[in-house]
Amino acid sequence: MRFWSWLFSPVPLARVALLRRAVYLFVIIDVVYLHTSGYYHGWSDPVWYQPLWMGKLLHLPAASVPLVELLRWGSALTAVLALTGRLPRLTGWAVAIAWIWYQYVAFSYGKVDHDRGDFVIALLVLPMIGAATVSDRRLSEAAGWAMRAIQLTAIATYFLSAMAKLRFGGPEWVNSATMLRAVVRRGSWFGEQLLHVPWTLHWFQWVLVGLELLSPLIFFVAERWRRRMVAGWYLFHLITFMMITIAFWPHLVMMLAFLPLEEYYDSWRARRAARRAGRAQGAEPAPTETSQSTGAAGGGTAHAAVPPGRRLRLRATQR
Amino acid sequence: MIAERDVPPNDVIRLPRTGRAWRALLLLAVSALFVAGTWVGQDDWWPFSPWRMFSTSTSPSGSVTAMRIDVLIGDDPTWRPAPLAPSAVGLNRAEVEGRIPQITSNPAMLGTLARSHSQLRPDEPAWRAVRVVKHEVLLQNRAPTGAVRDTTLAQWSAP
Repeated sequence: MRFWSWLFSPVPLARVALLRRAVYLFVIIDVVYLHTSGYYHGWSDPVWYQPLWMGKLLHLPAASVPLVELLRWGSALTAVLALTGRLPRLTGWAVAIAWIWYQYVAFSYGKVDHDRGDFVIALLVLPMIGAATVSDRRLSEAAGWAMRAIQLTAIATYFLSAMAKLRFGGPEWVNSATMLRAVVRRGSWFGEQLLHVPWTLHWFQWVLVGLELLSPLIFFVAERWRRRMVAGWYLFHLITFMMITIAFWPHLVMMLAFLPLEEYYDSWRARRAARRAGRAQGAEPAPTETSQSTGAAGGGTAHAAVPPGRRLRLRATQR
Repeated sequence: MIAERDVPPNDVIRLPRTGRAWRALLLLAVSALFVAGTWVGQDDWWPFSPWRMFSTSTSPSGSVTAMRIDVLIGDDPTWRPAPLAPSAVGLNRAEVEGRIPQITSNPAMLGTLARSHSQLRPDEPAWRAVRVVKHEVLLQNRAPTGAVRDTTLAQWSAP
């Protein structure tokens, strides 16, 4: 069955190891620097607590100062442990519970942010794979499924947010002043400039819905185009950030699941090794990053000997 | 959906049939929850709540509303705008905006903001009164007209 082999098409375990690094590093940055509304709910009166469905089911209490401190530093500490790569299941589940609960505290006071539902899936599927190291280039179906699940959720955020616009804003959403409202409420210098040219914000809404509706195409195009589409989405999020200073940070991490991270890692190591070798040889010309650098890279992988361009065609990775 | 591979199958760590089955079912269940959340769910379905960021329509010639809080400090009779931010009152603007009906029927809720403020910023002077103000920026044909309108919705004073 074609769909079946697509859903489980194997990826190197190294890719899982690298994505885990990105995800768990993000968790630390997130709880320490980025997302602080949950933290301050520890100081707000329980009269403002509005339990979500998850909290009713699990009987989660209103926030308190000890609870938010525990969840915040618990998320950071378990993420540090997960970054070591030891006991990936245990540490991965611990991060998932701490971080999801911490988000719950943030969202159960009347405002739910809509950029974090998909990251929950990444945290839940990554511990299901078990041990994975950057040097482990074996292909795994379990890893392939996890990557698919993350990719599908990341793209679902685009497609389903177009559906939500249809549900809450109606078809007239594209002609409404919603972006104008966003710029007025939390605009940046760049956004303020666009206020003077109102058609830009208006057309942005058409382009946005178009891109969101077409986003599932990413699963049907060739590898080269897939990477371009991911780059296009990163560019889109950069423009949004410049306009209304909102970035869907966890989602940006999720989009990494589309990329052959282990290949980038190899070429980065090869380049670094080549630079070092070049310095060591003094005035002599630096070696190129192909076969000469294999020994210095020391990664012990056969792939490092293949030039990056060729490797794309040789690699048996998820397409 | 291209699934061709050019390595021998023994290089691949396969999943047993049951492992594939529960993973496929799990993905199906989660997808169903996300789709149902989008079409019939509300915010309290999180993480399956609809992805409704900026999904409501704003009329090109209506108004953009933002709530603000003003406070009284010490003996000063002048209302001053105060930060409606988590680090100052434990809540952010949207969380207060979403509870306006409860606040107007129970203005004592504003008193909890003064208390949280004293705990979060003990070095700043305490607030003896808090009011919530609706601040409207009027729009005409997709551009702010320059006109604004302020309405006080609820007010609390320390006993």
